[in-house]
Amino acid sequence: MELDRATLRKRIRSACLLAAVLCLGSLSGLHATGGAQTTASQSGGLRRTSDGKPDFSGIWQAMNSAAWNIQDHVAEKGVPAGMGVVEGNEIPYRPEALLKKQENFKNRETADPETKCWLPGVPRIMYMPYPFQITQGPTQISILFEYVHAVRNIFIGSSHYPGHIDFWLGDSRGHWEGDTLVVDIEHFNDQTWFDRAGNFHSDALHVIERYTPTGPDHIRYEATIEDPKVFTRPWKMSMLLYRHKEERAQLLEYECFAFP
Amino acid sequence: MRHRLFDGAVRTAITLGAVLWVSSPTGAQAPTGAQMKKPREVAGCPSTAAAFHACALAKAKTFNPPRTPDGQPDLQGLWETPMAGGLGNIEGRRGADAESQTPPNSLVVDPANGLIPYHPWAREQKAENVDHYVDPYTHCLPITAPRIMASPRTRQIAQYPGYLTIVNESGGHPFRVVYMDGRPHLPADIKLWRGDSRGRWEGNTLVIETTNLTGLAWFGSGGDFFSDALKITERLTMVDANTIHYAATLDDPKVSSRPWTMAFALERNKEKGYEQMEEGCFESDRDTADLLLTGFKMYTGPRFPK
Repeated sequence: MELDRATLRKRIRSACLLAAVLCLGSLSGLHATGGAQTTASQSGGLRRTSDGKPDFSGIWQAMNSAAWNIQDHVAEKGVPAGMGVVEGNEIPYRPEALLKKQENFKNRETADPETKCWLPGVPRIMYMPYPFQITQGPTQISILFEYVHAVRNIFIGSSHYPGHIDFWLGDSRGHWEGDTLVVDIEHFNDQTWFDRAGNFHSDALHVIERYTPTGPDHIRYEATIEDPKVFTRPWKMSMLLYRHKEERAQLLEYECFAFP
Repeated sequence: MRHRLFDGAVRTAITLGAVLWVSSPTGAQAPTGAQMKKPREVAGCPSTAAAFHACALAKAKTFNPPRTPDGQPDLQGLWETPMAGGLGNIEGRRGADAESQTPPNSLVVDPANGLIPYHPWAREQKAENVDHYVDPYTHCLPITAPRIMASPRTRQIAQYPGYLTIVNESGGHPFRVVYMDGRPHLPADIKLWRGDSRGRWEGNTLVIETTNLTGLAWFGSGGDFFSDALKITERLTMVDANTIHYAATLDDPKVSSRPWTMAFALERNKEKGYEQMEEGCFESDRDTADLLLTGFKMYTGPRFPK
């Protein structure tokens, strides 16, 4: 019975996705431009593109344990201890949502959607323990992930799709504020968690990311989380992303669902 | 919006279509993209593989491609491959149905007979694959060249200093980062579903060599397969501003008696404002369970003779 319900839910979701894709086909946005050439120049220790923006091209990775728990936590077998990435360490759940989170935590080993190898949502995909590669052009910045070969396309200076679409990784629209890349993300489904500890959101999730270079090899990454169905107020995660400096660094594969 | 079909449905259709086709004496059910209802021209060339191959390469000799600021031919943009049609049976109808009345439509341009020079056991295994095994792409396992260049909807080529990227839209966005900086391939023990790609320019032609493959995927839903010894050499040459001649030479001594080459066109997607959209593939896979119920088996790689 349980399986049947799961299958049904899956089918409903697929049908919605199909409808959304067909509806949106004729509405798709503004840019389809490939990565233009970026010629890096050195100034103030920061690599810049030919149009003067910080050049985020390269292979990056978070070095923390937020994928297991975004709040302060002690070690468990197979889980490193960690200081949280949530500012103030408090997540402002609504009372009923807090109960749901606690239930998620109890069942986390099987209930975390990531254990099914599904796309882990944003921002979680940014702090999974796998590297990712940023490619950068003036109208499109792409993030290619080692984890299940996921791709995020961030379109610069364009608008969100209208209506609501259930994307796993949302719809990312970027703009620059000085040296900070600001990415606004909408159109999420309610099928992903923020971590293995059961922190979750609804399909009303709205994420605002800020990527600020703090040197040639470090990015301050901040994600503001808004979801009035689950939280009483917006809250924020903040962490560093580190550039892979190994000479032969390149993405390999973590094809989660290909493992027998 | 002809290519914005729901991919899961497309994969099911291709898989089931391939099954129907093999069991059909006329091949009339074949959904292979190579099937052409009317003669169509691509860049002023016929759109059958062998004719396109010769014609497009001749045209490319006199075409001066647009350039990136650092002088490379500019292949950037979104590309579709209606000529390859998602890669059904690469050998066309002739491969499995020699009596077919329809003209040959193999994508194989070398050997000239349009047939992959499989070892005899491998020829049998191709047919068994279609009859008894689930195409790994049906359950969203990553595809590699040349299939990655022929799957439905678009692929985006973007060139950067020292590397280029090819990002696929369908199949859950398998992407490739092709290093152009002369670095060596990965160590031999590292095997990847999409392989390890290195590129270089030969005149106006982008040459990509891919090795380090798992050998666990198929070339197309027609059951064409390869081993982990496969070396893929792709050649991309602009024929005109909106067409790339694409050829892939497949060298896999464990499976075939000599290297063979297939060719088709990459055609520019000119739809204004087109953006690649997320495709969650595995997340909504509901085809595999149904196929296993009908007696199909999971594919686990070439079944070498003992």
